[in-house]
Amino acid sequence: MSRADPLLPNALIVARREYVDRVRSRMFHASTIVLAALSVLVAFAPIFTKAVDRGTTTHLAVFSSDAGLADTTTANLGTFLNSQRTPGQAPLYALGRVPSAEAAQSAIDLGLADGALLVERSAGGRIDFKFYTGESIAADRQQLISVGTFLVAVLDYTTANRAGLTQPFLFPSLDMVAAAGPSAGGAPISGSEFAGRRILGIVFVVLIFIILVIYGMWVAAGVVAEKTSRVMELIISAASPRQLVIGKVLGIGGAGVTQYVCVLIPALLALGVEEQVSTLLFGPGGSIAPSLVALAPPLLLAYGAFFVLGFCLYALIYAAAGSLVSRAEDLQVMALPLSLIAIAGYLFAVVALSGGTTGFIRIASYVPFWSPFVMLTRLTVGRVEPWELVLCFAILVVTIAITVVIAARVYAAGVLLYGQRPGLQAIVEAVRHPA
Amino acid sequence: MSLVLDGLSKRFGRVLALDGLSFEAPRGQIFGFLGANGAGKTTAMRIILGVLRADSGTISWNGVVHDGLPRRTWGYLPEERGLYPRMTILDQLVYFAGLYGVPRDQAAREGRAWLARFRVPDFADRRADELSKGNQQKVQFLAAVLHDPDVLLMDEPFTGLDPVNVALLREAFLELRDRGKTIIFSTHQMDAVEAMCESVAITDRGRVVVSGSIRDIKRAAGRRMVKLSVEGDHRLEWLSDIPGVRMIRRAIDRSEIEVDPGIDPDVILAAAIGHGARVTHFEIADPSLEQIFIDHVGRPPDEDLTLASADAEDPAA
Repeated sequence: MSRADPLLPNALIVARREYVDRVRSRMFHASTIVLAALSVLVAFAPIFTKAVDRGTTTHLAVFSSDAGLADTTTANLGTFLNSQRTPGQAPLYALGRVPSAEAAQSAIDLGLADGALLVERSAGGRIDFKFYTGESIAADRQQLISVGTFLVAVLDYTTANRAGLTQPFLFPSLDMVAAAGPSAGGAPISGSEFAGRRILGIVFVVLIFIILVIYGMWVAAGVVAEKTSRVMELIISAASPRQLVIGKVLGIGGAGVTQYVCVLIPALLALGVEEQVSTLLFGPGGSIAPSLVALAPPLLLAYGAFFVLGFCLYALIYAAAGSLVSRAEDLQVMALPLSLIAIAGYLFAVVALSGGTTGFIRIASYVPFWSPFVMLTRLTVGRVEPWELVLCFAILVVTIAITVVIAARVYAAGVLLYGQRPGLQAIVEAVRHPA
Repeated sequence: MSLVLDGLSKRFGRVLALDGLSFEAPRGQIFGFLGANGAGKTTAMRIILGVLRADSGTISWNGVVHDGLPRRTWGYLPEERGLYPRMTILDQLVYFAGLYGVPRDQAAREGRAWLARFRVPDFADRRADELSKGNQQKVQFLAAVLHDPDVLLMDEPFTGLDPVNVALLREAFLELRDRGKTIIFSTHQMDAVEAMCESVAITDRGRVVVSGSIRDIKRAAGRRMVKLSVEGDHRLEWLSDIPGVRMIRRAIDRSEIEVDPGIDPDVILAAAIGHGARVTHFEIADPSLEQIFIDHVGRPPDEDLTLASADAEDPAA
């Protein structure tokens, strides 16, 4: 390209055409309805989980340096928690003593226990509970266990009174801590909030995967359609590859945002009423902690940023990939490597969602192709330092800037090629020496 | 005041598409850019448009190097026809004109006027996939001219059109020329070139083998033709008895005979009468452009230079 064509207004003219073409199509309408329905289902996932959870047993490890206190806590709390069990049903809660606090944590780590309860009597006679809520304990069960600790204290006081002790009743203290130690800026967060963040994380990861891969494929398919219909010959003489690529990404990205909003609104409405729906289905004691508790504005902002940047990166590459094939059926093959990269990011995000931030996950969260998934997930479950976020965004923005140049060059070389697919060497040559 | 291509070269891998291609198309003329398939015409047009970059050589329009010219200087009708299938015709015209900087309302107004001029005003609100190939081609032509470019590059503009639409397009060409536009078009239809063009360039294997005004080129050929019609005898076997005379094209209605320099064409008429033939047409003419093309290129203009099909990758096509 010998001319230095300004980006505007042609990029916006192209974007407008792409946007209108997409949002008017039947495919767009149908996919929006399907995705909106799916998002509502995902939003109601905690209710489905609760329905399944009602038949499962929650295992709690109990430890106290006072063996007597450990015994009474185990016995009284177990009786209370299982009082609603119907005859023949498996126990809803199983409590077992462990020899140390470390053993309690270890039992959670090994999956032998869903949570742990550390019980100690202070010098003044007050009972202090520390409740390590594992990830698999639903919010309503966490609440019931909290109530149960108060009951243990009452029974302990009653027993002491019968023995002639006359000191006044001391309210027990209860400290709830997520067992895996999730933190927001280093501060431990409650188990219910952690559960809410995980649900949000799932929603975010699914949505961003859809956005990056499906909308990215829209871009590639749009380029292939222009080649197939041969309209590319007209376009490429009227606008520069840079204008066309960026316009296409903006237009289809805009269509993506439109669909995203159409999908998100019912999902948010569903999340807003999930507590009421749960109460309606499972009775007054069956409510769940609302997932929207974890939906803080900074998190939404981060999601928006990852959506925009991630889409730009993937869409640019998909556009270049689309320019290298002439038939729609060849597109899947050409786009497969990129889709696999996205799927890998999705899987890493799922690992991060479970709370594990290994060294690899930490590195993956900086890799520009994966950061929209992994860093967003880490952020959602509250495990990111500010400098990490800045570094991640910086890498992503620089990568996009480089990708714009490369994608425009590949696009310029690819769109006029019909028939055979250019080899890797030809692509590299096109990038090094633009047409 | 002209479009000048000077020493353009372009290589695609091992294929040398252009090999020092040079010609000058005068401003305000219709210029025929001729060559067999694969001769480098489309590559040259794409380089003029800025879609491809030449390995060497320069292009200038009215003395300005083409890198400094705006895109709207050029209008392009590609050989491969294509429009957005689901978009209405008027929307497409407005879209393409918009890319060249024409305001939407102006583009819509002029688009409707052109559709009416092409006798298809009802196409405005129809989708491209509802039109025949020929009609889509007319729409593509409109997309190429709506922004009022100074230079129109037309790659095989008449291919696929019926005679009525060919006539419409020719009229449009002449009208645009009369408005001062420069039109460069490639075609294999030599009669169209002879009817419309003042100048031509004939290319072969990426080089111009002859260029200039058609009249000068024909005169430079140093040969003359006789167009002869004889009632009841199209074989004209007696021609073989005349030295320096060769049958070029034998036809039922009119045959074309080449006459060597120094031979008086009247000997053919005399021989015909001598053989008792009833001559209904006898015309002494310059050699046809097709004959000149064959002389320089060695084969007819519609014969492929390469074995590649039209769909195969061949940027030099």
